[in-house]
Parts: sequence; C-alpha cells; structure tokens
Amino acid sequence: MNIAAPNTYLAGFRLRSITGIWYRHALVLRRNLLTSLSWYFVEPFVILMAIGIGVGTLVDSVDGVPYAKFVTPGVIIGSAMFHAIFECAWGGFMRIQKGVYETTLTAPVSTREIAMGDLAWSMTRAVLTAVCIGTVAALFGWIDNVSGVGVLLAAALVGMQFGALGLIFAALSPNVHILSLTFTVVASPLYFFSGAFFPISVMPDWVEPLAWAAPLTPSVHLARGFVTGDLGMSHLYSALYVVALTAVLFPIAASLLRRRLVK
Amino acid sequence: MKGQSDGPVIRATGISKQFGETVAVDGVSFEVSRGETYGLLGPNGAGKTTTMRMVSGLSPLTAGELTVAGIDVSRQAREVRNILGVVTQEDGLDTDLDAKSNLTTYGFIAGLSRKEAEKRADAVLMFFDLTDKADGEIDYLSGGMKRRLAIARAFMTNPQVIVLDEPTTGLDPQGRNRVWQELDTMKQAGVTILMSTHYMDEATALCDRLAIMHHGKILAEGAPDEVVNRHAGPEVAQVRVSNGVRQDVVGWIEGAGFDYREAGAIITVTSRNGERPDLSGLEGVRVSYRSSNLEDVFLAMAGRKLTDE
Repeated sequence: MNIAAPNTYLAGFRLRSITGIWYRHALVLRRNLLTSLSWYFVEPFVILMAIGIGVGTLVDSVDGVPYAKFVTPGVIIGSAMFHAIFECAWGGFMRIQKGVYETTLTAPVSTREIAMGDLAWSMTRAVLTAVCIGTVAALFGWIDNVSGVGVLLAAALVGMQFGALGLIFAALSPNVHILSLTFTVVASPLYFFSGAFFPISVMPDWVEPLAWAAPLTPSVHLARGFVTGDLGMSHLYSALYVVALTAVLFPIAASLLRRRLVK
Repeated sequence: MKGQSDGPVIRATGISKQFGETVAVDGVSFEVSRGETYGLLGPNGAGKTTTMRMVSGLSPLTAGELTVAGIDVSRQAREVRNILGVVTQEDGLDTDLDAKSNLTTYGFIAGLSRKEAEKRADAVLMFFDLTDKADGEIDYLSGGMKRRLAIARAFMTNPQVIVLDEPTTGLDPQGRNRVWQELDTMKQAGVTILMSTHYMDEATALCDRLAIMHHGKILAEGAPDEVVNRHAGPEVAQVRVSNGVRQDVVGWIEGAGFDYREAGAIITVTSRNGERPDLSGLEGVRVSYRSSNLEDVFLAMAGRKLTDE
C-alpha cells in the first residue's frame, strides 16, 4: 500500500509539491550555512561599505539624501536580484543537468509546481539577504524609518520576478557558457543602470525611459521609497509593474521548463 | 486503493511515441500482472526507455492506450506517479544533499509527512544496507551505491509497482549482483516490477516474462526459456574457424539458411526450426554446441548485423 498522504490542491497547484521543493532548498541552505553567509551577507556588506562610505565621502548627498542612505536600497535590491537569478538560473540549470528535476517529476509533481517551488525559494533567498544587509544598514543609521521594513517586500517581489527570469534562462541554455550570459549580459547591466548607484535622471534623456522600463529599476525606486519614507503613487505603480512582469514571466518559465523536461 | 482491479497492473495497447520524424516506440502492446517481473530487453535505441517513461507518466503518448492499475496514463499522469515507484536511467540524485536527505526530501515531496519520511528513510536505508552511508556525500558513493540509493528512493512511498530503467547499466559485477539480490527480495515481497535492460543474462535471471524490443517494436514475448526455445531452438553451434576457410564456412551457413553472428574467430550459428546446424562435414573448423540464450534469440530475430549489447 502506497503510504503517501492524499494530495491537497490550491488553484490547480498541489501544495505539497511546492512546500516540498521549498523544504529541499531550505535543507541545502542549512547544510551550507557558513559558506552561504558569504553570499547573503559578506559580499553585499563589502559593496555597501565600499560604495556607501568610500564613494559616499566624495559624493556627499543625492537629492538631499546622504549617499550611503541613497545607495542602501539599491544594494539590497541588487543582492536580492543576484540571489534569485543565481538560485533559478544557475541552480535550476544544474538541477536540469543532474536529473534532480526529473527525479522530482517521478513524484506526483508538475513542471508548473517545480517552477512555483523554486520561485517560493528564490523569494525566500531574496528576503533573507535583504534582512542581513538591512540589519547592518540600520545599525549604521542608513535605514532609520519604520517604513524601511518595506524593503523586504520589495526584495520579495524581486525574488519572484528574477526567479522566473532565471528559470527561463535555465530552461533555454544549452550549456553553462550560454547560461553565464545571464550574469554578464543581463544581471550586471541591470544592477548598474537600475538607479541603485546614481539617479536615473543623470542619464541622457533618451536613455531614461529605457532605464525605467528595465526590470530592476522600479524595485530600486520602491525600496528607496520605503527607506526614505517618502512614498507616493509612483511607488505603487512600480510595485504593480513588477507584479505584472512576474505574472507574465512565470507561465513562460513553467512552459519552457516543461518543454525541456517532458519529452 | 483507487483504480485497482484484478486485471493486469500495466496494460499497454498499441502505444507509440514519435519525436519529430523519429518513431521511438511503434505500436507496442504488453501486459504485466500483479507480482510479476516483466522485462523490456533490447539494444540501445530500441525504445525501452521511452516505453518506461510513458508508463511512468513522464512522457505523453503519441498514440495508443496505457493504463496503470486501471488509471489512464494519458489523462491522469499525476495519479499514476502517485502509485508508482520510478527509477530513471540516470540516478538523478541530489548532490546538494546527503544520502538520507535524498530519501527524506523525495518522500516529503511525494506526500509523506516529515516524520513518516524520516522513519521510512531509516527503514529503507536498512533494507538496502546503506545505513552507514546515511550522512555520506553523494559524490563519494560508488556507482553501485548510487544506483541502490536511487532504487531506495523509489521505495520511499512503499509502492506496489516499480518501474526500473536499466537497473545495473554501468555497474561492476559486485554492484550488479547486489542490485539483483535486492530486486529479488522486492519480488518476493510481492512488488510488481517493470524493468528494462540490455543485458541478456539480467533478463534471464530476473524476469518472469519479457519482451524483446528492436526499432521500437516488440519482436518476441514470453517467459525467457520459452522465448529462447521458440526462436533460437535448444542449442547453438559455436564454430571456431581458421582464417583460410572463413569465407567457405560463412558461405555454407548462408547457403543452408541459418542465422549466424561473427565475433573474432568464433561464428555462432543458431538452430532453425529446432534443427541444430550440422557443420561436421566442413574442413578447418572446430564445432561445439551450447544451450541457446536470449542473445541468440536476438540474433535470430533482429538479424546478423546486431552488435553485442
């Protein structure tokens, strides 16, 4: 007699598939906790220090905001993006190659649920790194508003959004060399032209709309709104834009994954 | 359990699979009864893996009908995977986790509670004699241990039907023996097994019945000894030829209408209609006879061009 419990569904998703995959990822993190800390904490911390304090002594302030405080939300959101992309693009590609997804599919799991489980985890990762950097930033006084907690929401949205994008690259890449373009051609340019380090307004006029449409920019704007406490409608629009992008990217990711795994 | 009946556990009727222009499986039909070990035997590219994947609900059918425990695989692939234990051709082990966590996470994803998964993993590790490797890194396990762990994983939900794609390919003789033993124990416990292999000896040793596949079709089906008797006769001649006379000998065999296979200095000649080839009149040959096996059936059915394995 098969001893598995009956399945529970929500909106067509088998819940255990998603919690199970999330649990697998959490277990991997627990197993590699110390090395993972460098990812979640040390690297973004170094960037924050170098840019915030180092560059900050030269720049003084942006739009009346001290530079370190200006840069903090950008570094948090950038780190959230890199975590999500790394988990889903690199990690996802490895799970395709090593047959881990295939094994998961031998349980009563669908490719859509695999994608959703991975997104749930990339969101978790994004929030975790935001908590780590955010705590340090708060200690330095670079996040001093209660509304600063909202940065975690922005990070969560980025985690889902770039998790979906990462899975798309994982499912499309025939090999690791092509896959690495995700980082060099996509993630890094987005990071540096997202308004994380300088306001979009300093760019040439014709670049500005492009920069705003780029998938990371609205999230940096949203996070900065939370950190400065100066929130308006533009922040709501930014959040909706990110949610809409994710809603478009997710089904694409799920169907590409299906095409790659189910033959 | 839902969908169970007294009929065959697996029933495939004219199932086909096409990848673009390539027909991987071409209208295959077979049935596996409860408690039976059924083998798909054939060389690489015969369509075994594709058939196994269709049965496992991992690969949609192009045509045909397929039920597992009465459940239509085409319509309810997920339900089928709820019932089956599946061991894919690649072990598919998660190298980010240790051996036991591979079992517990799979069990949890498959629907066990975490506590059950924990308990079941201990029992399964014990059964497969892998308890001392529970904390082991996957990359440091031997090939045989990885394979056994992959089989153990399929047993986390205690399925009554297991689908095993090439259980021992790539294993050393000890590893193979070990896997054979464990499959036998499962069989004794009443588990229905569908397995594929390209090893004739493995099919003979493990399968109650088997189907020989070639180019996506089933060439012959039945109990191993029955298939051998029917298609290769009781005995084959093994002919050792000296170089000078090879052409003459081959000419004689072809003229007499026997199927044969050349491997180095040995030509193997199968019986035809129960008649064993009598080559005693030929010069420069040494003939010995041995019992036929599935390899010989393959030779007889698929033609002389077949390479070993």
